[in-house]
Amino acid sequence: MSGQYDEELARRLQRREPQAMADLYDRFGRLTYSVILAIVRDSGVAEDLVQETFLRVWNRAQAFEPGKGALGPWLLAIARNRAIDYIRSVQSRMDRNSYEFDVREHPSLFVDMEREVLNTDHARVIRAALAKLTDNQRKVIELAYYEGLSQSEMAERLGQPLGTVKTWVRSALQLLREDIGQVVSA
Amino acid sequence: MSCEELQEQYGAYALGTLDRSESGELREHLETNCANCVPGVRKALSLVTVLSGGVELKDPPKRLRKRVLALVNPVVVKGNAWQLGWSLAALLAIMLLAVAIPAKKQAEDTARLEQALSVLNDPAAKDVSFGTAEKPARGRVFVSPTKGVVFIAANLPKLDKGRAFELWTIPANGKPVPQGTFQAEADATAVYVRQGALEQPVAVAVSVEPEGGSAQPTTTPFIVSKIGS
Ligand SMILES: [Zn+2]
Repeated sequence: MSGQYDEELARRLQRREPQAMADLYDRFGRLTYSVILAIVRDSGVAEDLVQETFLRVWNRAQAFEPGKGALGPWLLAIARNRAIDYIRSVQSRMDRNSYEFDVREHPSLFVDMEREVLNTDHARVIRAALAKLTDNQRKVIELAYYEGLSQSEMAERLGQPLGTVKTWVRSALQLLREDIGQVVSA
Repeated sequence: MSCEELQEQYGAYALGTLDRSESGELREHLETNCANCVPGVRKALSLVTVLSGGVELKDPPKRLRKRVLALVNPVVVKGNAWQLGWSLAALLAIMLLAVAIPAKKQAEDTARLEQALSVLNDPAAKDVSFGTAEKPARGRVFVSPTKGVVFIAANLPKLDKGRAFELWTIPANGKPVPQGTFQAEADATAVYVRQGALEQPVAVAVSVEPEGGSAQPTTTPFIVSKIGS
């Protein structure tokens, strides 16, 4: 159950078959909820945002290319963006507007990439790779990933020069790519 | 900046951590479908998304599946609508009403549900929640510039006889546009749908007015919500 299943699932979403939404939820609902909950840390809010995420996928499925697109990664990107958008608006940090998310979650970007996001072996590899980062590298990835901080916000929060923060982000992503890229084609 | 210089930003962009002032150039550049940068950003997005797979898995509550499915097929869900969440609650409330009421009213409700869905299903629709500890009326409003407005609320204040709630959309020029009046149900909830194109508002508001409605608010609106751009 992976590439081919997702391709067919995407086609059914495009045909607006309600059962496709059920299958999409059964496949990705738990992971989507977990990703959002890790960011917003409130189960009620997480439920609302999961609902919004699936509605967005449903509404935008027409722009998706089933043969080439990676359905799981696209859905997860939308999920994370909804969660970050939420915590930023709650904290009144709205300098980056939702337009930016719209660009970064456009289905056309989610083609020709690793599609498998549900593999437990991958989960282990990812956790191991994160554990290998230095404390500073891990910190900036977590602040970006779970709190949606920009690099200058991180610099302020951590009391470090912006250039240092940028270096940590870049080197952390580089190391993650080296470790994770061997197992998944990221 | 050249592609080589922009390359430095792929990762931070995919992670969403570039400052707005920095991300503009890359974003515009990506819109030119650059053969170097688009695949590069894809790779970075792929890595960032794969990181999501490392998150500790938690089981969502069972009702969440029903909520998600009700988005595309509201009829299948039965139960207490208000427990099921905001955007959906209204639609369900209409559906549940439809079970126990005369055929004429049922047809009206079904029509209202279809109108509401046409707004909710518009990809261009914006929505905003309202309600705080100090302002107990809570709910959500959806605005589609081409389809109309859906307003859903609970804990609405009690009205004197001869008064009604009036919904306003406030465009950038600041002058409220009346969007019609409505009453709350016995349980202080309301679902109000106004169909038709409208000027994109920067905010929506609700005030208490005489039953026939007013051309401009005559009382201070008790709900005012900004709509994100
Ligand atoms: Zn380029």
